[in-house]
Amino acid sequence: MLETILSYPDLSLFLALMVLGYTCGTIAEKRHYKSIIKREQELIKLMVVNAEGRFAEGAVKTSFLVNGSMVVSNDYFKRLLAILRNIFGGRVKAYESLIDRARREAILRMKEEARAKGAHMIVNLRLETSTIGRSANKKNRIGSIETLAYGTAVVMNRP
Amino acid sequence: MKFTPKHIEGNVNVSKTHPLAELGWLVGGLMLLVLIFYLLLGVSTDIAVAKIPVNAEVWLGEYFIGGMDALESDPLQKLLQPLLDNLPADSPLREYNFYVQMVENEQINALALPGGHIVMFSGLLEQAESENEVAMVLAHELGHFAHRDHLRRLGRGLGLTVAAIILFGEDSAASDLASKFFLVGESHYSREQESAADRFGLELLVASYGHAGGATDFFARVGKDAGSRVPYLLASHPHPDDRVRQLQELISANGYQIDAVTPLGEDLLEDLPISEAASCEEPVSGADE
Repeated sequence: MLETILSYPDLSLFLALMVLGYTCGTIAEKRHYKSIIKREQELIKLMVVNAEGRFAEGAVKTSFLVNGSMVVSNDYFKRLLAILRNIFGGRVKAYESLIDRARREAILRMKEEARAKGAHMIVNLRLETSTIGRSANKKNRIGSIETLAYGTAVVMNRP
Repeated sequence: MKFTPKHIEGNVNVSKTHPLAELGWLVGGLMLLVLIFYLLLGVSTDIAVAKIPVNAEVWLGEYFIGGMDALESDPLQKLLQPLLDNLPADSPLREYNFYVQMVENEQINALALPGGHIVMFSGLLEQAESENEVAMVLAHELGHFAHRDHLRRLGRGLGLTVAAIILFGEDSAASDLASKFFLVGESHYSREQESAADRFGLELLVASYGHAGGATDFFARVGKDAGSRVPYLLASHPHPDDRVRQLQELISANGYQIDAVTPLGEDLLEDLPISEAASCEEPVSGADE
């Protein structure tokens, strides 16, 4: 057993990274989604729209920029799935959840900031996504993406 | 417009497929592609090898043998010469410039490389007891050349590696893996190829020595150590015992005589590296004797 592992170091390393990527990636993703759903429920009352806000005169007390961002990394298992997808084409399902998590987490962080500052709603929401590090496209490197959510937090004049 | 907060169940942005199921489909699809490619490659190399000119093969051979640690062994060359002289006049083998080299290695094995190189591992020579035995092995390798088995083997391994490089890029880990896996997996001849080379070898041995003495000795000795017959059902090589039986049938069918064998020349033995370990090693499982 040990002999086999030692005689194929490349293959063993590859398999070990695969298993590590799959287990850690799955656990991290499950926990993250749990937390996302819980916090989304908590913050559901805080309105976020991507429309430009138009308010009656005197309705707005103050407004300011809020933003939230998340950087999420790929793992070896997802990377393998994506490489295989490159051969056959089709939806790169492995990456869908990564992007989804980054987007929702970024919006949540933005909302948390807005709530802390006493905002009643966020208008003009925008999302940006970028890859971190050029290594994302190079061989044997694991890339990450960043999603940035920003918008205008509005505090209303409410009695 | 009134804002009504509502939590949306489910997620359209993420596919429901389980990642392991997807892996299964993708790997399965890839395997299928490789299999189809492998079968096509088998058919196309069979067609192509017959058309590869000998000089192209010689170039390939020089390319290939560059990495081998070979000693030129004159006594072996002397052994090969009478075999070559007794080839039929119209044999395609006459176009080759054969030469035999001995490589210091404990394996009991000999190889036919493209371009007319025959490599004999010293482990085989240490086991051999007569000149006829070694000549039979050489004649067997000549049989592989005559049927161009060595090219067929190389052709498939190369084709698969090239395919991996096209798919994954030249210096990716996947291509390295593929080249290792396929070149190792491909390094055997099929049973039919081995049997055909045995027949060719026997005829040449008889043409050269006038009798079939020593033809079966080598396989008989190997067979004693080869053990159970069961794994050989799946192995790429015929079981040594089956080879001995096939050779004996041929000998009696053709009425070849079996005379006394010639002992190994002193000059041949001198070249051998002294290594006692070689004879204790487990011999030939999947070797190209």
